[in-house]
Amino acid sequence: MSSFKRDKKEEEDGGGNPFQNIEKTTVLQEARLFNENIINAKKCTHILTKILYLLNQGEQLGATEATEVFFAMTKLFQSKDVILRRMVYLGIKELSSIADDVIIVTSSLTKDMTGKEDLYRAAAIRALCSITDATMLQAIERYMKQAIVDKNPAVSSAALVSSLHMTKMASDVIKRWVNEAQEAVNSENIMVQFHALGVLYHIRKSDRLAVTKLVARLTRMSLKSPYAVCMLVRIAAKLLEEEETGNDSPLFEFIESCLRHKSEMVIYEAAHAIVNLRRTTSRELAPAISVLQLFCGSPKPTLRFAAVRTLNQVAINHPTAVTACNLDLENLITDSNRSIATLAITTLLKTGAESSVDRLMKQIATFVSEISDEFKVVVVQAIRALALKFPRKHSVLMNFLSAMLRDEGGLEYKASIADTIITIIEDNAEAKETGLAHLCEFIEDCEHTSLAVRILHLLGKEGPRTKQPSRYIRFIYNRVILENPTVRAAAVSAMAQFGALCPDLLENIQVLLARCQMDSDDEVRDRAAYYSNILKQQDKTLYNNYILDPLQISIPSLERCLREYILTNTEEPFDIKSVPLAALPTEEEKQINNQKSDGMLITTGPVKPIPVSREENYSEKLSTIPALQQLGPLFKSSDIVELTESETEYVVCCIKHCYTRHLVLQFDCVNTLNDQLLENVRVQLDPSEGYKIVNEIPCPKLPYNEMGTAYVVLQFPEDLPNTVGTFGAVLKFVVKDCDPNTGLPDTDEGYDDEYMLEDLEVVLGDQIQRVNKVNWGAAWEEAGNNFVEMEDTYSLSSMGTLEEAVKNIIQFLGLQPAERTDKVPEGKTTHTLLLAGLFRGGFEILVRSKLALADGITMQLTVRSTDTDVAELITSAVG
Amino acid sequence: MGLFQKLAFFLGIRRKEVNVLVIGLNNSGKSTIINHFKDEEEKVAEIVPTVGFNVEKFQNQNLSFTAFDMSGHGRYRDLWEHYYKDCHGIIFVIDSSDRLRLVVVKDELDLLLQHPDICNRKIPILFFGNKMDCKDALSSVKIAAGLGLDKIMDKPWHISASNALTGDGLQEGVEWLTQQIRETIVTRN
Repeated sequence: MSSFKRDKKEEEDGGGNPFQNIEKTTVLQEARLFNENIINAKKCTHILTKILYLLNQGEQLGATEATEVFFAMTKLFQSKDVILRRMVYLGIKELSSIADDVIIVTSSLTKDMTGKEDLYRAAAIRALCSITDATMLQAIERYMKQAIVDKNPAVSSAALVSSLHMTKMASDVIKRWVNEAQEAVNSENIMVQFHALGVLYHIRKSDRLAVTKLVARLTRMSLKSPYAVCMLVRIAAKLLEEEETGNDSPLFEFIESCLRHKSEMVIYEAAHAIVNLRRTTSRELAPAISVLQLFCGSPKPTLRFAAVRTLNQVAINHPTAVTACNLDLENLITDSNRSIATLAITTLLKTGAESSVDRLMKQIATFVSEISDEFKVVVVQAIRALALKFPRKHSVLMNFLSAMLRDEGGLEYKASIADTIITIIEDNAEAKETGLAHLCEFIEDCEHTSLAVRILHLLGKEGPRTKQPSRYIRFIYNRVILENPTVRAAAVSAMAQFGALCPDLLENIQVLLARCQMDSDDEVRDRAAYYSNILKQQDKTLYNNYILDPLQISIPSLERCLREYILTNTEEPFDIKSVPLAALPTEEEKQINNQKSDGMLITTGPVKPIPVSREENYSEKLSTIPALQQLGPLFKSSDIVELTESETEYVVCCIKHCYTRHLVLQFDCVNTLNDQLLENVRVQLDPSEGYKIVNEIPCPKLPYNEMGTAYVVLQFPEDLPNTVGTFGAVLKFVVKDCDPNTGLPDTDEGYDDEYMLEDLEVVLGDQIQRVNKVNWGAAWEEAGNNFVEMEDTYSLSSMGTLEEAVKNIIQFLGLQPAERTDKVPEGKTTHTLLLAGLFRGGFEILVRSKLALADGITMQLTVRSTDTDVAELITSAVG
Repeated sequence: MGLFQKLAFFLGIRRKEVNVLVIGLNNSGKSTIINHFKDEEEKVAEIVPTVGFNVEKFQNQNLSFTAFDMSGHGRYRDLWEHYYKDCHGIIFVIDSSDRLRLVVVKDELDLLLQHPDICNRKIPILFFGNKMDCKDALSSVKIAAGLGLDKIMDKPWHISASNALTGDGLQEGVEWLTQQIRETIVTRN
């Protein structure tokens, strides 16, 4: 006690952290004390604390160091001191992943976990499971099973949580413990019940039927632990999402009944689940919202925070439902907790009317400097939503954003502001000039390289098309003088864009680029020399291909192709056409991305790997099949086409892979009958005229519930018009009856059988890769000289609106819309859609489609292509 | 520290604590031997193969033993050496009915004797020729000859035939070890 008092006094004296100045080497020296014959428990505990402190501060131990400490530590097992022993368990857990031969303590830990001392048992189980690998698990399985059903709740919980951790490495062993976990669910202890449910769910989560049964049984049982009920609500909500039935199922009833649970935690969880279900109607939503409303007035800040945070999320999908809470939210604006206030305001911004925007913005401005970055991001996202909703308010919002840009803040925060400004610029032409001006000002003093590079790129893209391009040059050139090499290089590229697009500035740009050629950095000099030379040629074609349009190919593929090229050691020069084009994100993917950012306070997971194009993925898979290797590079892979209903005996999907002269059809088959083993599975095609089947690769074996793949290789017809057609398809295979449990066939003899599939259509879009033309107009003009042009007029009687027509044309032709012409301005009766793409074999296609609305839609389609047949094909395909 | 312990400490009659290492091939009976020395209430009815090691404590003639009962399984034998440094005595258990693996025992013993932490110390080694009740068990003399124990000059050693299940021969061996350790401690002091 006396020592405790002294410690406290020292702390007050400003001694601070007693572990502040410890060093790894000294502590490791001290750890030799563990080897003494007679153990001084107090000293050893202190040393162990230091080791744990170091490890938790991120200090790295080498394998030898760790092993040495670990073995010294194992000698402490002879001590009877409870505190020291428990420290040893912690030490084992920390070092288990670094040190070698950690299994040495298995027996000692097993002894402790089954021993009489309760204080050791739980900790010993956790330590034991951290040192055990899949092969050793068998040896301790018996003890683990006993521990799960132990009377002592701490022991039981420890065993359950450890099993949960071990499902990652040995799920099949843990599955055998299901009976014990089942028994633990009935425990009186709230934690044990919760942990047991977690284990049970993890064991069964891959089996939907089992989960449904589990939930059905437990909802009737009325669990004692609120934590377990919360988890059950989550599982039920997940099941509901997966089920296609409506919300009148017993699961929904259960969730709704939880709104009347006595624990606040459960009530919140249920409300949260209901409002986040995708298909809730406003009537079902009402009780949940009213519960949240009630929480908004709670004296507990956590409840208020949870409620307002959930309301904030829901505000996007169900603004009307949240409007009912507006009064309560207004009260929360002045809440002493800034996080609650921020969320309240941003929620109101999402639901509020245009008139209240000014007032709310003023309110935020009063405390925006006091809140943390995360919440500032929430505010910025709310502003983005607002700007899209009320375009007329852009000046207020833009001013506010630029003020925020000037404040202190982290990269994520600044990036989200820049993002928002960029979205506003793209969406609203009026706001473009002011937005660019704000961004220019921002990069004058921007510490984040990645952000500066992005903004420079945007300036290069948008700047030349403004009324007064010259004013941006100064900002960009300032970067060349003041910034690091990465930013300087980006600035050089941006300047080149101006040079290419604004002939009157070309001379000045050349002077600036000449100066950049004396830069100290290689990349900057290279870029400057490259652009300067191209600009000197004064050739529009060169401008288009090498300055304005970025490289369209997928970078990972390029890397792979170059690597292969170097390995083959041929004399031929490298052909860039052999590299697949980069896949452009489709509208849907973009929307998903947007939706993600619309939610709030999303924990950002690990950084996503660079998205690899679908072609790249397939290409790798296909190149492993010898028969497909000589077909050349993969040009395009289509989306997955389902050839059966999703719940039939055999499920077959098709992916069409287009090569220069060949079409490869990949049939992914799944056998859903557990008493059948299929062999020699192939798809018999009835191709349309002109197609020739070159090769068939059947799937040798298709056991229950596994995916097998069969391929058919076809040669494209010589006549291009024939390439579009419909193929009949039949799945053929040999059936062998088998035992559902083992999957082994009963007899060696099977019988032939077949299964009708839906017809497969090969359309124009399968042979065309989308290409993003940044400067479509220039490419079009240039194509006027040397491309073939075809023109035709059609009447599209089946379509009622311009949007619908635009959408259908894009989908049908499989071309990439350029210059944002895929968005039809409201209230117009005519529209011009500009498209670009690449036909297999490397033929460029540019399409201009003029649409007019008058009793149905009239379309004038102009196609320019490097190849006559391709152009003809496109015009004829539309008709 | 209690008053009595303090007193005992000053008077020098406090029990001495020593570490001994129990090694030998797997299934030779190490854990069973240690189990025999434990107090009646701590004894385990069923002995399972040790994984890694176990720490056990027992007393003999006022000397308090801390025994590191090592696993004899092939993959753990490399780990014995981590515990060589600070032990006062070694108990080496041999399955006298396992003629076939006597060569393996010899290999392990040679490795032990050549280890830098062992070779320069005058550390007592007690050999138990365990399972002497088995029909085809080798006698302790034969084992000693087979292992070449007579070549060990710089360390006191002793071999006794034992039966860990009944306890025959165990007491005699440990008494020898106690004597030896007591002597080394006395001379060191």
